[in-house]
Amino acid sequence: MIRPGLARVVGTSMEPTLHEGDLLLVLWGASARVGSLAIVRLPHDEHGAPRPTSIKRVTGVDPSDPQRWWVERDNPSAGVDSWLVGSLPHSAVLARVLLRIPCRRVPFT
Amino acid sequence: MRLRDIFQITEVSAHCDLPCGVYDPAQARIEAESVKMIIKKANESDDPDFRTRAIMIKEQRAELVKHHLWVLWTDYFKPPHFEKYPQLHVLVNEATKLAGASGTKGEFDEAKADELLAKIAEIDKIFWETKQG
Repeated sequence: MIRPGLARVVGTSMEPTLHEGDLLLVLWGASARVGSLAIVRLPHDEHGAPRPTSIKRVTGVDPSDPQRWWVERDNPSAGVDSWLVGSLPHSAVLARVLLRIPCRRVPFT
Repeated sequence: MRLRDIFQITEVSAHCDLPCGVYDPAQARIEAESVKMIIKKANESDDPDFRTRAIMIKEQRAELVKHHLWVLWTDYFKPPHFEKYPQLHVLVNEATKLAGASGTKGEFDEAKADELLAKIAEIDKIFWETKQG
């Protein structure tokens, strides 16, 4: 089921598009669109520990597997993306980001 | 009611571990060896200009020791490591204190530099044990 929701950005890997504390209107359950931002579940790290639910830009389909999305960070100096963890299955896309809500940037608590 | 009160806000992460994933306590050790050698040379010199330069450079090197140890502590070591090596938190704390104002950064005591190197060696031993597993 597709439903709207709110998400708060933590971290700097989507700068300069998004900044820490930005509030986003998202559509949970909506499929990814190339060029749009998406909330995704990344694979576990090399120690088997889960990574936090993340926000990335969907830059295209995996060139070697059209069933999978290639996601990237906007800030190449911070964070991880498909260049490090590979492409993601469609099921790893949790929400599509619609817009940033203009409001005070308050840290997530 | 503000818009944000209507919905539950989900935290979404735009950061993660360093992409390179390259860590080595040797970085901290080499800077600590610099600190030790600067202390030795400064203590052997009676040139005030040389000693002033030594103080400045030693403080920079000591700061780098702390930085490299903190990178290991926060980015490399993970909860399973701290479970297996419960002394690790205290060890990093003691080592960074030895690199700080109450240790080699603030003093010209070669013995303190040796203590610092010994602590880094302990962290190094644990580091390479975690690499085995």
